[in-house]
Amino acid sequence: MKAYAQPIKRLISELAKLPGIGEKTAARLANYILRATEDDVCKLAESMVEVKRKIKLCRICLNPTEEDICYICHDKTRDQEVICVVEEPDALAAIEESGGFRGLYHVLHGALAPLDGIGPDNLRLSELLLRINNGHIREIIIATNPNVHGEATALLITRMLKEKDIKLTRIATGVPMGGDLKYIDKMTISKSLEFRRGM
Amino acid sequence: MTGRETHKTKAFVLHCLNYGEADLIVTFYSSDFGKLKGIAKGAKNSKKRFANVFEPFSLTSIIFTRKSRDMLAFIDSCEIIDHYDAIRHDLEKTLIASYFIDLVDHFSPEGKKNEKIFELLNNFLTLLGQEKTSDAAVRFFEMRLLRLAGFEPTLDHCITCKTPVANGTAYYFYAQEGGIKCAGCAKPERYDQSISAGTVRTLLLGKDMDIDKIKLINLSNSLAAESRNILIGFITHVLSREVKSLKVLEQVRKLCL
Ligand SMILES: [Zn+2]
Ligand SMILES: [Zn+2]
Repeated sequence: MKAYAQPIKRLISELAKLPGIGEKTAARLANYILRATEDDVCKLAESMVEVKRKIKLCRICLNPTEEDICYICHDKTRDQEVICVVEEPDALAAIEESGGFRGLYHVLHGALAPLDGIGPDNLRLSELLLRINNGHIREIIIATNPNVHGEATALLITRMLKEKDIKLTRIATGVPMGGDLKYIDKMTISKSLEFRRGM
Repeated sequence: MTGRETHKTKAFVLHCLNYGEADLIVTFYSSDFGKLKGIAKGAKNSKKRFANVFEPFSLTSIIFTRKSRDMLAFIDSCEIIDHYDAIRHDLEKTLIASYFIDLVDHFSPEGKKNEKIFELLNNFLTLLGQEKTSDAAVRFFEMRLLRLAGFEPTLDHCITCKTPVANGTAYYFYAQEGGIKCAGCAKPERYDQSISAGTVRTLLLGKDMDIDKIKLINLSNSLAAESRNILIGFITHVLSREVKSLKVLEQVRKLCL
């Protein structure tokens, strides 16, 4: 990095903070930005700021949205009594795209990860409990990822809800152990929802 | 040019770090090389070569190459020996297993072989998979790991007057000095918590006890609390930081276990 001028160094180090971006890739991106037109660069910068300013979390399911309540929670044709719990918005997106689910969601924004110090207090669990206490929920489908963190999160939710009179199910893990929902194809996701099992 | 050497060893997965778009940097505790860091190229996308093998506390068999001892290893292959399914299907066991590997990670410098630590992890994960969870097993693991890592606290005699532990006496634990003092030597402040000779004796017993007998030990609440405070206080002092996985374990216990 020594060879670069200070503003470029700064750009590289900011880009390198993004997930999946190492220093080499960051330098390549910085180079692209350097050569792009000023107009294109402004559009990129503005879109980043806009996302940060306009997007908030849905008041009900915590999915990122422009409105107070997201389009899924707004849709009254969906089954209001079934909540599918996911770790991240990208898992929600993957399930939506599979088309196999017509209920509502709840985004935890993480999974239990003891080695990283992520415990129950760091997950959006209290919002889930509130929804359960205030509504008529018939079933909770736990669609956390089929790896150690997702499995532990599923067990945690099961423990927390065991006194409640709600059907608890877990997506069938034809999804291989160690996987991540966002990398799994639509067909498999549909099937894993269909063949969910009781906890 | 020095060639790459190929090695094969059994190893526990301690943790994984994303590296770039497709790679993972995996930390292992291996039987032949101690703590070992390696890069698994394409591990995030490859469903074949590295299908779900880098999950915390899995026991694996790895083949790796490296140019020299202080270079990052290049993981050629990794096969699961044991996923410890019985642990993974139980929340508390998963959290305890995570704590075990977290401690081993913290107490092990890279590249220093210690087969006894590997055996310790192996034995205690097997125990955890087979038996009910117990505070005793967690504390005895801590005691044994501290000893193997060279940080064993002095619990069999007062570190000031050297008098051996005797029944009926109250003791105080001094993390900075690495041991206990008898009530006479300690000059305790009012807020200092004393510990019973029973607690001290139990911990001494636990560090050498046959692994099969550990399941028979049931600590009373006060004994469990005292031994936790001694060992966690000491571990936090030695590492000069909190152990994250312990914090999560205790958070979950308070919430729902
Ligand atoms: Zn919503
Ligand atoms: Zn003394």
